Amino acid sequence: MDDLEEENKRMKAKTLRTYLARRILQYIFVVFLGLSLVFFIPRLLPQDPIRAIIGQFQQHGAGLDTKTVETMVVTFQELFGLSGSLVEQYLTFWRRILTLDFGPSFFQFPTPVSELLRRFLPWTLGLMLTSTVVAWLIGNIIGGIAGYFSRSRWARLMDVLATVVRPMPHYVFGLVLLILFAYLWKVFPLGGGASIGKPLSFNIVSLLDVLRHSFLPILTLVILNGAVWYHQMRLLVQNVKNEDFVQYAKMGGVRTWCLVSQYVIRNAMLPQVTGLALSIGQIYSAAIIVEIVFSYPGLGTLLFEAISRADYNLIMGIAAISILTVSTLVLIVDLLYPLLDPRIRYR
Amino acid sequence: MRKGVRLMLIVLVVGIVLCFSCLALAQPREETLIHDTVTGVVGTPDDFNTWAGWRWPDRGLHQYCLEPLWIAEPATGEILPLLARAWPPEYNEDFTKMTIYLREGIYWNDGIPFTADDVVFTIELHKRVPQLLMHGPMAEYVKEVRKIDDYTVEIALTKPNSRFHSYFLDRWGALRPMPKHVFEKVEDPITFKFNPPVGTGPYVLESYDPAGYWTTWKRREDWDRSATGQIYGEPKPKYITTRVFATEEAKILALLNGELDLAYLSVEGMRAAMRAPHVRTWRKEWPWACNIDPFVPGLVFNHMKEPYNLRDVRWALTLAINIEEFMTIAADLMAPVSPIHIPPVPAYKKAYFEPMYEWLVNFELDLGNGEKFKPFDPEVPFKLAALAKKKGYPVPEDPEAIKDIFGIGWWKYAPDVAEKLLTKHGFFKDEFGRWHLPDGSLWRIQLSGHPEPTTFHHRTMLAAADQWRKFGIGVETWTPVAFTTLNLLGEFDVNTTWAALEPWGAGVDLYRTLWPFHSSQVRPIGEYVAFDPGGSARWSDPRMDEIITKLEKVAIADEKATIELGLEALKLLVEEMPTIPVYGGIAFLGWSEMYWTNYPGAENLYPHPWHWWPNFKLTLPFLKPAKE
Repeated sequence: MDDLEEENKRMKAKTLRTYLARRILQYIFVVFLGLSLVFFIPRLLPQDPIRAIIGQFQQHGAGLDTKTVETMVVTFQELFGLSGSLVEQYLTFWRRILTLDFGPSFFQFPTPVSELLRRFLPWTLGLMLTSTVVAWLIGNIIGGIAGYFSRSRWARLMDVLATVVRPMPHYVFGLVLLILFAYLWKVFPLGGGASIGKPLSFNIVSLLDVLRHSFLPILTLVILNGAVWYHQMRLLVQNVKNEDFVQYAKMGGVRTWCLVSQYVIRNAMLPQVTGLALSIGQIYSAAIIVEIVFSYPGLGTLLFEAISRADYNLIMGIAAISILTVSTLVLIVDLLYPLLDPRIRYR
Repeated sequence: MRKGVRLMLIVLVVGIVLCFSCLALAQPREETLIHDTVTGVVGTPDDFNTWAGWRWPDRGLHQYCLEPLWIAEPATGEILPLLARAWPPEYNEDFTKMTIYLREGIYWNDGIPFTADDVVFTIELHKRVPQLLMHGPMAEYVKEVRKIDDYTVEIALTKPNSRFHSYFLDRWGALRPMPKHVFEKVEDPITFKFNPPVGTGPYVLESYDPAGYWTTWKRREDWDRSATGQIYGEPKPKYITTRVFATEEAKILALLNGELDLAYLSVEGMRAAMRAPHVRTWRKEWPWACNIDPFVPGLVFNHMKEPYNLRDVRWALTLAINIEEFMTIAADLMAPVSPIHIPPVPAYKKAYFEPMYEWLVNFELDLGNGEKFKPFDPEVPFKLAALAKKKGYPVPEDPEAIKDIFGIGWWKYAPDVAEKLLTKHGFFKDEFGRWHLPDGSLWRIQLSGHPEPTTFHHRTMLAAADQWRKFGIGVETWTPVAFTTLNLLGEFDVNTTWAALEPWGAGVDLYRTLWPFHSSQVRPIGEYVAFDPGGSARWSDPRMDEIITKLEKVAIADEKATIELGLEALKLLVEEMPTIPVYGGIAFLGWSEMYWTNYPGAENLYPHPWHWWPNFKLTLPFLKPAKE
């Protein structure tokens, strides 16, 4: 009997090891493929990063003559490391990835990409992670409760509100908030990450200032994204609450709130957890719109600028972070599944 | 319990709101001028080394901190000496030596005097360091630069160059003198951030946003030791803040709220903002737009592609345009039309537009079989005025005022003549009214424009597509993100950049505008040309080469000879029509009079009205606080 148990344990450990090895290899492959695509795709763009910079001078009528333009092109090619063959550039690219040195941004030369990431990542993380997590929590909790008590008046009111809000574009909704709370009722600023003329520091005044500037952007994201989570969770809960085990628990006298939280919401959560990990990858796209509406600093606008000006190094830096974050989060979620749902076992 | 929680929540919300509301600007608003930055979020907020690359100069760096030797002033049409004592510079007979006399009594903002040493150092450093932006021309032309005395510099050139001074003439950029005492201690002038920037301009850096959304400048205590202060007097705002708005909506709200004084807007944005009583535009009455911006939006043919290499085809496409309809779409009738390849700004009206008028009226096209046609229509401004009146706009009655607003005239709408020019070359129309190329295939024009719908390129594209479709040509509009790159490579049939490279906008020299049309600048499709406006057409003509060569031998001081050659070149451009010039550049400005007044509007045009140009420093001494 003991031998059998021992054998069982060994088998389980082996299965887990095999699964882990396969999953980690898959993770490495996804990261490699994703980063390689990040290298090649921008180079297929018809946009030339050097001409984009020179164009910026010329667009405003700066007096650059032919000689100046020609020498600028050669100089920039050397400075940006674009003078070698594609293979040489690809090898340099991997060397840089492995040392986390993405080189200089072309358009913001000589600023290193790593410095730009350091400068803007905290804003994006602060805004997007906060709003993503808060929207997810609020949407799922309210959606779960509303799904369970779907016939109540307040749940139906929530349905109407979420249905009205959900299709609204981020741009329009943000602008409405801006007009209401920054123009008509001047409580919040019209934009920016902090007040003009007041350098940021670690004190309560600065913190309040940043909070004040990020309130409307976060509110926009929380309401709009929360409505999406709300609808999804509500539908999931409506299915789960009719399942036999819930009915048995109900008949067995399990208290309502325990039933809702432990039996219904917990079982309906799984797809939402995966959805949360995947939604982290979409933060840039949502960030661009919100950053634009509220003139808020962050990686979204930076990525947009980088793509439109073919700033390969900057695209590489931002995309690398995105690929690594999303792949790692999905890996973690996959590995945590058995903890979240005891029914799942890796065979 | 529930009541307690509710009370706590209310207190928390009210507390936060009150706390937020207490926060304000660091500088007194009444003493601060705030304007937008048109080139977007500053990507290098801590870096002010504008000699080493693109550093978002309109964040205030080139308006308030740095000063050039000379500056082009399109508002008056003059070229003004700032750090130099006089204009024009002195050349020797064969243009191999240029002497610059410097203004005395100018100090850098850290208290060190500005002298010839700074100019000599700047040129020598640029000659020596290949990574500096203006290294190319300095290395090619400068043989030796030496200081004659503290305020005189002599530059010996490697070969004759009558336009060498243009590298130091500021028109949104130039080789401005560097502070020697700062840069001589720097190991690498490329990576050096030049922070805080040391300039001779009347303002110093006060603070900036590390994320690049704002920069604040403070007036120097010794503003009278800047060239601007010395010539024009005390700049009135004590502080200037440049701000970035990612959307025009936010910019308009800020203008209405009193959080912004000067804004560069789209036509729609201007219309929205001007409803507020404290917001004014450049012209107080219709057409509101500022029409002295020295550039010419137009249509650029790719001469390396058939049939656009044919002069008759280019002229046919010009005569297929109904300018009244075109201008309605392109600029809502607010811009002056221009039949020639320069804008109708003050500098050129007298020098070129007036002398060319009779020639334009009498200019003839040969339609074949001995038939001639005079294409110029001097009635266009009055037709445009009548149309504007019909639309309900208040249009002046005075013919001169009408010409000032609408231009001197444009080309006739003559589809019948266009048809004759095309059939001459074997083009034909089918039973559906569609034009076919001589080889029988349907004529399709790939017309490219900028992807941003509020730009002049985009609107010109829509207007031209509308006209040519009505004429029976299939037009595919195309708005690639890589618009400029594709123009430079020649990947288009017709593009909608400027009809010619922007002229200086001041003085009478057109060398800069004509040079991209020199045969040495033409490259095959797939190879980059140096200039998008003018150059991307890939057009050249031996007669133009000859004019340019002659112009190179004319001294900048010889205005008569310069104008004569300029007129010759402009006539050649009209005859050949390598690109179609359509209208003079305009800008839509919103000026809030809540805190500042006496802006340089049309009724009061002293210096420059555009706050993103380096010239704006010259405007500051004339502003008045609204409370006065």
